Amino acid sequence: MNAQVVESPPQAPRQPATGKDHPPTTGRMSASVIDQSSGGMWGWLLQRVTAVVLIVGLLTHLVATHIFNLGRLSFLNIDHRLASTFFVVIDVSLLAAAIFHGLNGARMIVLDYWLESRASRRALSIALWVFGSATFVYGMWALWPWISR
Amino acid sequence: MSPVDAAATNVGAGNWKGLGMWAWLLFRIAGIVLVVYLFAHIGVISSARWSGHSTLNSAFTLFDHPLFVLLDLLLVWAVLFHALNGVRILLMDFGLGIHRHKAVFVVCMLVAVVSLGFFAFKAFSYIAAHHAGGLGGLV
Repeated sequence: MNAQVVESPPQAPRQPATGKDHPPTTGRMSASVIDQSSGGMWGWLLQRVTAVVLIVGLLTHLVATHIFNLGRLSFLNIDHRLASTFFVVIDVSLLAAAIFHGLNGARMIVLDYWLESRASRRALSIALWVFGSATFVYGMWALWPWISR
Repeated sequence: MSPVDAAATNVGAGNWKGLGMWAWLLFRIAGIVLVVYLFAHIGVISSARWSGHSTLNSAFTLFDHPLFVLLDLLLVWAVLFHALNGVRILLMDFGLGIHRHKAVFVVCMLVAVVSLGFFAFKAFSYIAAHHAGGLGGLV
């Protein structure tokens, strides 16, 4: 009888877990990928701060224009509304908060599916900051005839 | 696998089922709709600066058409769903209601539906008052 001796493969010596030099974890998310796709602390925090601004501001904005219906919408109607400092503050903070919240939300979606490298993530952030700032300036320019009286 | 990776292996495994998945998916869709609307809104309001008061006023006249009033109502729903689900997320971040997150979601959605009711009442009574004779006449 040929008794077959099945040799067990040599055990690799246990590696101490250092947290560095992860083996490639194909087919599942590695902790570092999950961490990167969260978009960073400041993005997370500002997304929540602007969320609160938007809830308060949009509620005021929508109720004023559609429920209390301060006149039929027209150039003159906006003129009357923006004569009050209260609505100027609401509209300008809405403009800034909505642009940040919207673009950062779009960024979060992009980071969930694309842009693995640190450099490309950084490039996206810079591009969105430039685009968002330009949109804010454009929005202020558009509101200026009403604000500057 | 490092301990950090081992702890993260199952992250997301239970995400693609049940109420939480739909809340997440609709939250994203509403978010995309709102960001598109934001830039359209800035574009429309700024038209007054490019070509005068009358351009903006005729845009507002166009938006009085029942079709646009109904689209407005859809937009209000996107705002309410996104805002109220966002409130739930903020509560989770503060550790409030984590063990009852489905109940929190249901309460948030009830608030959203009741608020939508106010806007729907406003929208339909507007259409009834101004377009009782028919729905034609875009522009």
